[in-house]
Amino acid sequence: MAAFLEVRGLQKHFGGVTAVADALFDLREGELLSIIGPNGAGKTTLFNLISGLDAPDAGSVHFLGQDITRAAPERLARLGMARTFQHGRVFGNLSVLDNVLVGAHTRLRAVKPAVPVVGPLLEFALAAVRPAAVKAEEAALRDDAMRILSLFGERLLPRLDHPAFSLSYANRRRVEIARALALHPKLLLLDEPTAGMNPTETAEMQEVVHDLKRSGLTILLIEHKLEMVMRLSDRIIVMDDGRRIAEGLPQAVRNDPAVIEAYLGHRETGGAQQEAVP
Amino acid sequence: MRLHRRSVLSATAAALGSFAIGRLANAADPVFVGVSGPLTGPNAQYGAQWKDSFDLALDELNPTAAHPVRYIFEDSQSDPRQSVAIAQKFVNDPRIIMELGDFSSPASMAASPIYQRARLVQFGFTNSHPDFTKGGDYMWSSSISQAEEQPQLAEYAITGLGKRRLGVIHLNTDWGVTSKNLFVAAAQAKGAAVTAAEGFLPNERDFRSTLVRIRDSNPDCIVLIAYYADAATIVRQIRTMALPQAIVAVSSVYSPKLIELGGEAVNGVHCSTTFFPGEQRAEVQRFVTAFKAKFNRDPDTFNATAYDTMVLVSTLVNRYGTTRPAIRQGIAEVRGVPSVIFGTIQFDPETRRVAGARYKRLVVRDGQFQLFEGGTPS
Amino acid sequence: MNAWFDYTVNGFVIGNIYALLAVGLALIYGVANLVNFAHGSVYVVGAYVGWAAITYLGTPLPLTILCVVIVSALVGVGIERIGLRPLHGSSRIAPLLATIGITLVLDQIVQLIFSPDPRAVPMQVPEWRIPLGGGTIGALDLLIAGIGLVSAVVLYGFLRFTKLGWAVRATAQDSDAALQMGVDINKVNMAVFAIASALGGLSGLLVGMYYNQISPAMSFEATLKGIVALIIGGLGNVPGAIAGSLILGLTESYGIALFGTSYRNLFAFVVLIAMLVWRPNGLFAGRRSLPPEPMTGTFITRSRPLKVPRWAVVAIIVVAALLPLTGHPYLLQIGANSLLYAMLALSLTLVAGTVGQISLGHAALLAIGGYASGLLALDGGWPVALAMPAAGLITAALGTALVFPAFRLTGHYVSIATLGIGEIVSLVILNWTGLTHGAIGLGGIPPLEIFGYDFGSVESTYWLSLVVLVLLALLQVRLLNSHLGRSWRAIRDDSVAARSYGVVGDRYKALAFGYGGFAAGISGAITAHIYSYINHETFSASISILALTMVILGGLGNVLGAVLGATLLIALPEAFRDLAEYRILIYGVVLLLLIRFRPQGLLGTV
Repeated sequence: MAAFLEVRGLQKHFGGVTAVADALFDLREGELLSIIGPNGAGKTTLFNLISGLDAPDAGSVHFLGQDITRAAPERLARLGMARTFQHGRVFGNLSVLDNVLVGAHTRLRAVKPAVPVVGPLLEFALAAVRPAAVKAEEAALRDDAMRILSLFGERLLPRLDHPAFSLSYANRRRVEIARALALHPKLLLLDEPTAGMNPTETAEMQEVVHDLKRSGLTILLIEHKLEMVMRLSDRIIVMDDGRRIAEGLPQAVRNDPAVIEAYLGHRETGGAQQEAVP
Repeated sequence: MRLHRRSVLSATAAALGSFAIGRLANAADPVFVGVSGPLTGPNAQYGAQWKDSFDLALDELNPTAAHPVRYIFEDSQSDPRQSVAIAQKFVNDPRIIMELGDFSSPASMAASPIYQRARLVQFGFTNSHPDFTKGGDYMWSSSISQAEEQPQLAEYAITGLGKRRLGVIHLNTDWGVTSKNLFVAAAQAKGAAVTAAEGFLPNERDFRSTLVRIRDSNPDCIVLIAYYADAATIVRQIRTMALPQAIVAVSSVYSPKLIELGGEAVNGVHCSTTFFPGEQRAEVQRFVTAFKAKFNRDPDTFNATAYDTMVLVSTLVNRYGTTRPAIRQGIAEVRGVPSVIFGTIQFDPETRRVAGARYKRLVVRDGQFQLFEGGTPS
Repeated sequence: MNAWFDYTVNGFVIGNIYALLAVGLALIYGVANLVNFAHGSVYVVGAYVGWAAITYLGTPLPLTILCVVIVSALVGVGIERIGLRPLHGSSRIAPLLATIGITLVLDQIVQLIFSPDPRAVPMQVPEWRIPLGGGTIGALDLLIAGIGLVSAVVLYGFLRFTKLGWAVRATAQDSDAALQMGVDINKVNMAVFAIASALGGLSGLLVGMYYNQISPAMSFEATLKGIVALIIGGLGNVPGAIAGSLILGLTESYGIALFGTSYRNLFAFVVLIAMLVWRPNGLFAGRRSLPPEPMTGTFITRSRPLKVPRWAVVAIIVVAALLPLTGHPYLLQIGANSLLYAMLALSLTLVAGTVGQISLGHAALLAIGGYASGLLALDGGWPVALAMPAAGLITAALGTALVFPAFRLTGHYVSIATLGIGEIVSLVILNWTGLTHGAIGLGGIPPLEIFGYDFGSVESTYWLSLVVLVLLALLQVRLLNSHLGRSWRAIRDDSVAARSYGVVGDRYKALAFGYGGFAAGISGAITAHIYSYINHETFSASISILALTMVILGGLGNVLGAVLGATLLIALPEAFRDLAEYRILIYGVVLLLLIRFRPQGLLGTV
């Protein structure tokens, strides 16, 4: 049986710089795979290639047995892939609740018909007339969004109507994750979910991700905080200069000389090297 | 409730109206005409020219008139949105017995339904658009009819200068296209060929490629249907391309500005005109002298048209009465109003336009417009 | 055969003139990431300063040039101070809108001082000419080409070899990083605006001499052509701008050769749109990268909209409905105008505010609606009551189809593309004589009449417009509260994130433009039947700018704000008729003040 996510020989060059060289890995259903590496190692580019925001120069990506190389991000969302962004891309002027509801966009019945012209017109008519079925669906989505937001305890619930730009940095990251979960993803791509968080907040986030994993969600994680990576990951891939330099179980990776070398060699960059060489 | 309210209001309006009329009955009190025209925006210079001429005419006529005329000038920027609002203002101002303008045909014609509905004469004295007076029987115009001017122009080129192959460059607007069509028809009827007709957009400055097209159609004469500013630019570029053809232009290029903007290049340009300060006719000389004395410059066609218009207004008011119906009746009947452009004005009640403008043939020599006395085109 | 040589020479000659404009625009874009719409105004200022220097001071050419360069550079510094520096950190579109405000102000000041009448600029360059093909090339042609080339070379040298030049390039690459490295960005921007504006002013003088004619009206045309050349060459690319200008000149010249003079601008704008769609980075650049990740949506100003209680809205509608009972037809006409513009503003506030596609060509939708309804009623013999809704639907379909190719664009590119599309619509109306009656326009459009009831009186017109507006506004509010509103705003705030959540940009932009097209089309249709006559200039580009000002005044995306903005900007100028001379000046100042001090508008962005 094909792997859940299958990445084969992905390459991406920007000008003369190789951002990703020959990325190759499989992700199994229910697994949490972490990608670590110093800054500039190509992790986020790899995410962009998988999630359709950037087109690879070579290689292929298969998701649930379908070829999704160069697929549009909209299609990947419909297939059940959700992601968060390294620097945060919440919808600043939308309320917290609306941000999460946008995450549920692909689940709306009104948006399903993909027939050109007719589909959009139908969607428009449903939004204008709003029959009972549409109202019920919207109400159900709202309940679901509230359930997802409650994963973060009291962090977001009191701020449902606040525009996202007014939130703290940490809360924006939480909104991003809530939005991703609202898609009911089969695969979740998390790009540094704890960036900029203090230790308490990081611990909370770690707990949330842990719960998600336990619920059976397949997760691909980029993270600098190695403590968290070691705790959560089933497997780890280490990248440097666009290349995979190590892969394996957390303990094995931790002791891999190539990894230590990569992190030491980049001592001036990144923020997590100290943790890398205990 | 509503009816009651409205009747009260209309009673008030009627009272106000009768009050106004009562005041107007006094001979020394002025009567008002509304003017809708551009005082700002891209056409502002025309509104300013109107004002000069209106003032001149009223200075001359009012002191001796039984009913002195005053005008209320509202700036429309020649924008239809504003001309319709101004129209509502005028039709509901009981003092106003006639309306003049707007400058551009689109602005005038947008307001026409309002004037027609209110039975207030709209006198669009610059509105050459063929459909303007079709807006209703209250739309009148003394604008020079292109149906009359264009055959004159064709005549000038064909019999006056002996040209048979005419290349036309025209402004691509309602006025330019109407004129061009009439010119082409007239020229062909006189047995000449129109080798090319090129329409340019307002604000265009580069005509070199247009002129290559004209040149390659092999004309013996270039005909310009343009205003003076564009005509000056076109003629300069004709000269830089060293095209040898004679140049004939419509009356709208007649302005001292043509020579200012065209410089030496416009020497030799022929144009027909309805107004020429050098003409010896008494009405013309009186107007030109008075205008020069007041403003210290030569008047142009726009000044002359506006002057004629105010003379007409004063005549109507003093001959036919100071009410809107009197003006409407008078404008259809009036005969022999003195005019700089037409000699005398009378309207064709069918077309509601004036016929019989007097065309002069001019040529530019040594930086001066001169009457063209025949002979070889320069 | 000879002719094609001449067309080529002519193309180069005019392209040469465009190049002087495009170089300045390119420089500013390269450093400040700003399409400077005020560039044409600097060009006009330069021309008039030169004229004044020659006329009043009798300056010889070198001194004239010096005067023009100094004054224009100072104007450039002023533009940077007003239009760019204080807006650092506000929405990306704010500086662009500020330059539009500045251009209104500058053009109007020039017009107030010098009158709109064209003036002759005394020629100060020797008048010898070299025969070339069927035409001639003069000293001034060579001087213009020389200045274009020299300025490109000097700029290159400046950027490469001077310290300030390095700073400029560093700022262009990454202004935040440059700031951290100790580059004084303000100084850099100021230098660039001064240089670019000096160049712009100089080109105004030279072009004025070239045609022996200057007028304030030449500003818009100059900006437009400069921008088209810039897009062809690649934004921010100085040598590209020169090449782009020459290509534009050639395109126009060949366009005239093939199709005739009246197609010239149509050609230029079609090339513009084609470039934007296929090579948005210009002919000479290949890179396409992902837009940087914003922290949050930075496209519109963050604000909490003013909440207007429901009873207040009902009260406003009731008062508006009762207005005709006061019996002031003039007031009602202005009211009707306001209502019709409010429909346009509703449309634009949806497209520009809710979806973030700042359209500078929205008046084209009015034109399509007006012509569709007028033609159906006039040539098709349709009853007005059917022609108007049909016109709304036609505008929705046609408007969306026209903008569709531009859906992949973002930010400034959308504005430029819509500006171009607006011009194309107007030019097609002008040239497609068989359908649209061409330049003659549509006369005798039947008056408003719905199933035998005459709506021609100003009261009926007003009530009809009010009913239509209220229906459109309520529907828009309903849509905004549905998942559609959410999706539209998500696209505006972050189109990349929206796509990643399955919000298909094209689909929702199309729906917004469709609904917006319908509202604007109805407005245009009603207007056409009120006016009885429309032509290709009835709905001119200045209406697009006015509509945008309304929308910003009310608050982007804010339905009630759009109505308020339209009412204020239509009614206030009527109230201040005495200030007529200064009206456009006031628009410009209002726009500038809003962008600077209340970018969220009166009622706040939604």
